[in-house]
Amino acid sequence: MVQIRNAAAAYRSLNGLICVYKPSCVSVRHVQHIIVTNLCRDLNALPDRPLEKRVEIVGPTNAPMQVKLLPNYADDPRVCGPRYIDKDFRCSWASHLGLFSSGVLLLGINDGTNLTYLLNTARPTRAFKVHGQLGKATDTYFWNGRTMERATFGHVTRAKVDRVVAHMQAAHQKTMYELSGLHMDSQTTYDLASEGLLRPANSKLPVIYGIKCVHFEPPNFTLEIQSVNEYEKYLWSLVHDLGVQLKTVAHCTGVQCIRLGKFGLDLSLLRKHWQMEHILHNMDQCQQIIEQNENLIKPKSAHLTV
Amino acid sequence: MNKLKLFISQRSPAIVVSRFVTTKKKIHDPNEEEQLPIFQYPVSKSSDRRVYVWGLAETGALGIHMPRYKKSGKKAYKNNFNLVWHPMRSSFCERFDVLKIACGYGFTVAAVKTTEQHKVFGTGINTDSQIGYHAPRIGHPLEMLLSPAPIYIPYTSLETKITGLAAGRAHTLIQTDNEGVYSVGNNAYGQCGRKINPNEEYRGSMASHNIKSLGKEKIIDVCCGQDHSLFITEGGRVYACGWGADGQTGLGTYNNQGHPALVKGDVTSENIVKVASTADCVLALNDKGELFGWGNSEYGQVPMSNNQQQVNMSYALVNFTKGLGKIVDVAAGGSFCLICNEQGDVFVWGFGLLGLGPNVQHSTRPKQIPAPLFGRNEFNPDSMITKVACGIGHLAAITDKGDLYMWGRNRHGCLGLGHDKDQHFPLKISIGAHVLSVHCSVDHTVAMCKPFT
Repeated sequence: MVQIRNAAAAYRSLNGLICVYKPSCVSVRHVQHIIVTNLCRDLNALPDRPLEKRVEIVGPTNAPMQVKLLPNYADDPRVCGPRYIDKDFRCSWASHLGLFSSGVLLLGINDGTNLTYLLNTARPTRAFKVHGQLGKATDTYFWNGRTMERATFGHVTRAKVDRVVAHMQAAHQKTMYELSGLHMDSQTTYDLASEGLLRPANSKLPVIYGIKCVHFEPPNFTLEIQSVNEYEKYLWSLVHDLGVQLKTVAHCTGVQCIRLGKFGLDLSLLRKHWQMEHILHNMDQCQQIIEQNENLIKPKSAHLTV
Repeated sequence: MNKLKLFISQRSPAIVVSRFVTTKKKIHDPNEEEQLPIFQYPVSKSSDRRVYVWGLAETGALGIHMPRYKKSGKKAYKNNFNLVWHPMRSSFCERFDVLKIACGYGFTVAAVKTTEQHKVFGTGINTDSQIGYHAPRIGHPLEMLLSPAPIYIPYTSLETKITGLAAGRAHTLIQTDNEGVYSVGNNAYGQCGRKINPNEEYRGSMASHNIKSLGKEKIIDVCCGQDHSLFITEGGRVYACGWGADGQTGLGTYNNQGHPALVKGDVTSENIVKVASTADCVLALNDKGELFGWGNSEYGQVPMSNNQQQVNMSYALVNFTKGLGKIVDVAAGGSFCLICNEQGDVFVWGFGLLGLGPNVQHSTRPKQIPAPLFGRNEFNPDSMITKVACGIGHLAAITDKGDLYMWGRNRHGCLGLGHDKDQHFPLKISIGAHVLSVHCSVDHTVAMCKPFT
């Protein structure tokens, strides 16, 4: 880790991508705010540059004048406020996470905002752990909604869940071809399709590439979903649909993003580590991942990366 | 004047706005949840089957008959009910426990689980009495049925069970558990397994023929090509009858055959477990997973060293399919053949829309259709194809997870993709159930499925 000597040098090195763990019930904007204010706090605590001096030239103009260096109060943090404020940082997210979702969140700081834009247009897959509960349906499809219906779920077995889930996954194959923006009758489409999965051309509709039931203990279950363009409400409605297909009802109890492209949970900074030294270290790690995987930022073909 | 202005400006805020709408969020009773009833949704039995149909409905082959509504308006789909673009659940199969289904050229037959007289139902074109005699007035038999009607067969016992069905261009074979095979419909080439009578009238015919056994062995499987029939007996022998102009009966001649006779050539010494034929090319599979073929070979379906185009005897295609592993399922279409092996890979050869992209029209060797097209990818690495089926111009494959993929000529929307454009590579068909088997015909398709729960 680089030794931070002063605030100006630290500020200059704060350009890049960071990977943080967003807690649930904290919005992405709030996460940005906390990180930026924490950075400002840490920068302001670092040794500052020497105060500027005010030059005063005094004396009669027809005689040799005297030059004095006086303390400049306009440059004093006690007068003009802290050196670094929120406005000095640009901060953007690579892909949004809803208020009630938690997990991996990529933020670009200052020049890193370009990277988040590129990452967003490259549309890497995200992996989610979606927790659900059988037997109860709510109006928002999430646990905090009003209960609308209750149903028995004794007949649901692991095998049945697996079957429905495999079918849901296969049903997205057609959507994948439609959203790839390719013409169905062309040889190019065939060549691309025969090699593997395709990325969607725009961000309009969600595409699911993989669903798997990883934990089943009635009434609770967990799905692992790999997808592009999804959003929180969509994942909730997926759980609801699963419930209906299983001849019962279900609601979502939690959504956790466990991977975005190559950025996994192990990389993401917990809230207690949202401090400058950790952020700088994390920025280096993220930079390494981006350098190792050029496809992540600038994909060369319509194939799905990761 | 100024006073008046002041007066007006003072008056205007005094207009009282009464609010009837509250912006306060209604707080629901927390005990409400306890008062809600607990629903119990009906769960299907493991023997329950769902049947989905799509394609041309004009012939009545789908058995979906919609009463005519107003000429215009919202129910336009019902008014113009010529094609079913997407898989649609057959209501007939909801009322009966359907065991077997077969698709002929413009008609469908289904066997139901019952101990009553009417065990087999048919719907669609009936020009040659291939789905029995149905006459609302004596002497005026129906040539087309829009909804399923029972086919009368003189069973000796009502306990008889239907174990197999097959349908060709204009004939139907009904295989029972201990009464042999019954055949109805056109016998112009001997495809019903009885003597050919050139003057026989098939329209409005009530005739059915019973083939009790072949070579003193029980018949365990039947298959219909266009105008020929194939039978497999318990010993794994193949018998054929019907049209032989392309050698599709495999009897060493190009003549029509009235009574089923043993197929000559390489299959005589083998234990055959499956035969497949839709038009005039026949593929057979033995218990070791080796392939045999005979019949039409104009497009190299059964390649011969002397480029013979009509193969009238069965030949082993072991060298031709070398390196493909054990073959699990076979299907023969109008001008191409489709097989799948133990690893779940699909191979195709012949001529047409083979599923090898728009540039490949013809293939003389078995070529693999890339597995990613059947959903094998990094998220689902163990997906494999277990069953294949062919119509005249369209192909179908079913994965072990019960997903149906179809491609080929989309005549009358028989691919069920929602349009009538040809499909050059396999595409998943949207069916909300676990597909067990699929039956393709010229212009319609039927899928037998199992509900998820």
